[in-house]
Amino acid sequence: MEFSTVQELCLHLISSAYQRCRLSEQICRLAIILTRSSSSHPSLRISISDTGIGSCLEEFQNLRFSSTDVADNWDGMLSLKTTSNMPDQLFCLREMVLSCPHIILIGIRDTEIHSYQINLKGSGSSRITRLPSNTKNGAKFSGSEAYLSSFVSRDLLLADIHTFIQKNIAIQLVAEDCDVPESRYEKVFLSNECKQSPVSASNLELLKSGIEDYVVKHGNNLSNKCNTCFPSWEQLKVGVGVACCTDNRLHTELVMEAVILISNVSTQNITCFREYDNKTEVLYFEDFSPCTISRSSMKTLESIDWKTYGLNLRGAVEQDGVTLLEWENLPTDTHIDVVLHIYHKQYPALDRSFLSLSETVKSTVIPAPRKMSPLARNLVKRAVKLALDDLKANHSQAFLSSRALQIRGYAPDLAKTIAGLILSSSDLDFQGECFSLLGLQSQEVGTEIVESCIEERIVSVIEMNDKKPHNYQQVAPYLFEELENPVQDSEFQENDFGPFDF
Amino acid sequence: MEGKRRRVQSETQAQSVILLMKIKEFTRALLTDLTNGRSPLILIDRFRSYCAVPNANCFCASDSPCGKEALTLRKKSRAHRLVVMLRVMLIVQKLLQENKHSSKRDIYYTYPSLFLDQSVVDQAINDTCILMQCSRHNLNVVSAGNGLIMGWIRFSEGERIFDCISSPNSVHPVPVHVEEVQDIISVAQYILVVEKESVFQRLGNDQFCNANHCIIITGRGYPDIPTRRFLRLLVENLRLPVYCLVDCDPYGFDILTTYRFGSMQMAYDTKHLRVPEIRWLGVFPSDSERYFVPKQCLLPLTAEDKRKGEAMLLRCYLEKEVPQWRLELKLMLQKGVKFEIEALSAHALSFLSESYIPSKIERKLIM
Repeated sequence: MEFSTVQELCLHLISSAYQRCRLSEQICRLAIILTRSSSSHPSLRISISDTGIGSCLEEFQNLRFSSTDVADNWDGMLSLKTTSNMPDQLFCLREMVLSCPHIILIGIRDTEIHSYQINLKGSGSSRITRLPSNTKNGAKFSGSEAYLSSFVSRDLLLADIHTFIQKNIAIQLVAEDCDVPESRYEKVFLSNECKQSPVSASNLELLKSGIEDYVVKHGNNLSNKCNTCFPSWEQLKVGVGVACCTDNRLHTELVMEAVILISNVSTQNITCFREYDNKTEVLYFEDFSPCTISRSSMKTLESIDWKTYGLNLRGAVEQDGVTLLEWENLPTDTHIDVVLHIYHKQYPALDRSFLSLSETVKSTVIPAPRKMSPLARNLVKRAVKLALDDLKANHSQAFLSSRALQIRGYAPDLAKTIAGLILSSSDLDFQGECFSLLGLQSQEVGTEIVESCIEERIVSVIEMNDKKPHNYQQVAPYLFEELENPVQDSEFQENDFGPFDF
Repeated sequence: MEGKRRRVQSETQAQSVILLMKIKEFTRALLTDLTNGRSPLILIDRFRSYCAVPNANCFCASDSPCGKEALTLRKKSRAHRLVVMLRVMLIVQKLLQENKHSSKRDIYYTYPSLFLDQSVVDQAINDTCILMQCSRHNLNVVSAGNGLIMGWIRFSEGERIFDCISSPNSVHPVPVHVEEVQDIISVAQYILVVEKESVFQRLGNDQFCNANHCIIITGRGYPDIPTRRFLRLLVENLRLPVYCLVDCDPYGFDILTTYRFGSMQMAYDTKHLRVPEIRWLGVFPSDSERYFVPKQCLLPLTAEDKRKGEAMLLRCYLEKEVPQWRLELKLMLQKGVKFEIEALSAHALSFLSESYIPSKIERKLIM
């Protein structure tokens, strides 16, 4: 994996740190600290530390830095301190706060804190240097700190990280800037403050909770939930879908998680900011990092049969690097948000020992970079469809397909006709039997009551039908439902039959 | 006579009671499905009078269903068909309860905005007949009647007497309530079915029935149900030979096959409508040479004629049951020309009644 700017590298390191935190399955802390110690020493120390599982060298061995831009002014040296990677023995020190940039780790049984220096501008086996390790002095913790010193502009880097975190609804994060005490910058992005997820929450649950939080804070533009627009959480209709496949090249499972959120916001409240109006911003993440959705995945999104869910997609457009879905006939108070996250289920080297990785480094075998696009296309489609199915399963009335809506249009006529068959029958016993099937007492029966009672049942059956997969056929396979005419159409369509043929 | 009439009436009433019961059973089953949250599934047998696979080992002639269609609430078109069928059933229930009759056009105008088109009502009536396993007249749905009759016959329809014998060349309508036809008396030697009213009138003008003891019927183009039912009734009762005279073009040929084999749309009820005894009297494509039809009367087949003729060649029953008919149709397509019955009158106005028909019957130039 090659980076051309320090900013890009930093975002990658943050993303890796987050993944280690997720894998620990405990509450962790991730700190990004940018320190300029004094004006006489103007380099910026960038520290990214986490209390997740320990790092493995494989994460770093294929990182390359190719920039020759003097503006970066970085020697390519990345320092790493980490406990070894032992995922089954982790535990959490919830209360620990990392206030000092040099304290790195929270951890467990491994007795050592390993230190490395990695030259990202170098090549061959000499680029990783193992430094003397420190003892934990009996403490149990795990974690990592990656840090580097560069002359990169603090403000530019801060802006990039800020944007990254703002979009990264999947990350629970503290970012600090303590350049000089009086200009301390502190911003906390917590996932869903209002609805705390349990420690054991899955990635998908966090993603769901994250998008809810993102939406109710108007795209994280507010610090807290907008109570004017979202007085209650019930306004949010959320559907989730997960699709998996095996990435044969890396022998790991590739997971695509999709969350679709539909919110109804009163249009009278015009004071609140809506960045993309009625369009849907598609938030896309790869391995916990926000990134731009590929063109092919965008086309896949367009190819989804949204009409099955009562939605009319006009098309997908890209606007300043943001993918937007435009809708037709979407009620003005309805807004749709979509987030997609594709990631490898197994974090690199979880299944390998630290030692074996060291061997890998020595033989300079570099794993192929991750390319997920071809697999992602299929996963996008499956996951989004599952999320839509989920929405429909829980809110069937709101997501009736256009076909079901048309069929539902016949419900009043159908109800009226069936009620007519019952009420116009001269057989009173038959009438009584039908009333009791409908749960009606004979004395309360009027035409309107019978009709509405039947219509209610018809509508419920149509909604139920719409939830089932569309290739569902109750009909025995020998039936040729689609075959309109068993003989040649050419012969049958014409005036073979006169008006009095009947 | 009065006794017979009463018997016919009570048979009709019994049939109505059975049908009303079936409609109630159907409604009850539908309601049970809906109240139990089940999507209704109504299977309707599908029939065909022929298939388009030549030499096929098919069962088209068996009158058995060849499959089923499903009416459900899963498809818009099927849902609409279900609504229309139920609405027709509702009308039929009222007709049967009140012992009234209605035409399919009357039914269409009951709810034109729902039915949208007459053909939709026609299909719904057919669906209802198939479901209820009955014929259309059992639903008390009848046509206005389009057929005409003349010749050596006398019969009654309910209380109405059709005394054609007293004036054999006078035109009478074909009875609509065929099930009420009784007391058929005839001294005819054969029945002649003609395609067109113009030819029917020509024969009347020529006093054809004076010289020939026969019964002449026309369906005025494609025959309607009463005409076909009545013809079948006559053939069953009188056991007379029956001949058919149609134009020498694909439409004439198709009308001929409709009399003999029934139509595709009414395939479910074909066994009550077809007349397998019917013989083709003319006009054959080969007649143009035999009877010296002037060249100017031979018109080229249009593209539409050719398409229709080619499609008809594939009908399974032609090869199986009337290969000679098929050969004539093939000849028509090979020659690429068609001509009307009236073309035979080019020699003399009375050629048809004085020469053509009698000579055909006498010399057995029929198929």
